[in-house]
Amino acid sequence: MDAFIAWLQATRLSQAIVYYTWIWPACETLHFIGLALVIGIVGFFDLRLIGFFRRVSVSAARELMPFAIGGFALNLSSGLVFLIGHPEQYAHNIAWWYKVGSLALAGLNAAIFETWVDAKTIHLGPGDETPASAKAIGIVSILAWFSVLVWGRMLPFVGNAF
Amino acid sequence: MMAWIESTGLATWVRESPSLWAYPTILTLHTVGLGIVVGASAVVDFRLLGFARRVKPIDLSPLFGLMVWAFLLNATTGVLLFIADATTKSRQPVFYVKLSLIFVALWCTFATRRIIREETPDASPASASSPNGARLAVVSLLLWAGAITAGRLMAYM
Repeated sequence: MDAFIAWLQATRLSQAIVYYTWIWPACETLHFIGLALVIGIVGFFDLRLIGFFRRVSVSAARELMPFAIGGFALNLSSGLVFLIGHPEQYAHNIAWWYKVGSLALAGLNAAIFETWVDAKTIHLGPGDETPASAKAIGIVSILAWFSVLVWGRMLPFVGNAF
Repeated sequence: MMAWIESTGLATWVRESPSLWAYPTILTLHTVGLGIVVGASAVVDFRLLGFARRVKPIDLSPLFGLMVWAFLLNATTGVLLFIADATTKSRQPVFYVKLSLIFVALWCTFATRRIIREETPDASPASASSPNGARLAVVSLLLWAGAITAGRLMAYM
């Protein structure tokens, strides 16, 4: 791990990210904008799965999802910039690993939804109650995404890596 | 005045307590609130721009209630973060830029809510929205992105 960190820090890309001081705040800003898109749009769909916004059909509630994927792409890219710029800040920080674990949980949860739950849920129209499996998916999704946010924001204060 | 605010027990606790429940948690809650306010606002704005047309705008009304609670969370945590560092923050022009952007964005949010209630309660799900709604949506998205940018830059300027 430490060898990989040292190798990464020695790359020209890593050094450029650190050298141009405007890159970091610019990426942080994009990271926060992407965060809001993911939380808002995924959260809205999750709330429909849980049973709120029942007058909206499930498939209609999902139509904004491309913007959430766009927000996530923004955060994956800006997050990689942080990681490549200062790998030592993250690899040795337990909060970062909690964040990555929460991301994995959110991804696994979405995959379970797409694979098993989606078929019986996506055709539900206005007023329809969602099955318990969809409610569980919605709750796990909201908790996982807020966990990603919380551990990300807590990063500089947990451990001694920063 | 700012020095006095900064010296109060509460401000000192926020700034100097080694507890994760002080500054780190307050800052994290501020980010949680940001995600809910701006995220919920973005859902409404994208709908008014003509995406997800099968969603009736009026059915998104509960999002405004959510935004109010999240905004109150951010007003509270924002005051706490400000008093902890009042002399510095009160001298940062970008802080006043952020506050101004938020106030105009809030005005947009209330105007959007009024448009949704008055103009589209009977609109068929397939209809787009009024041109006013679409214009407000663009302005709202830009203002919130601007407020986020200004907030982030406060740590650097």
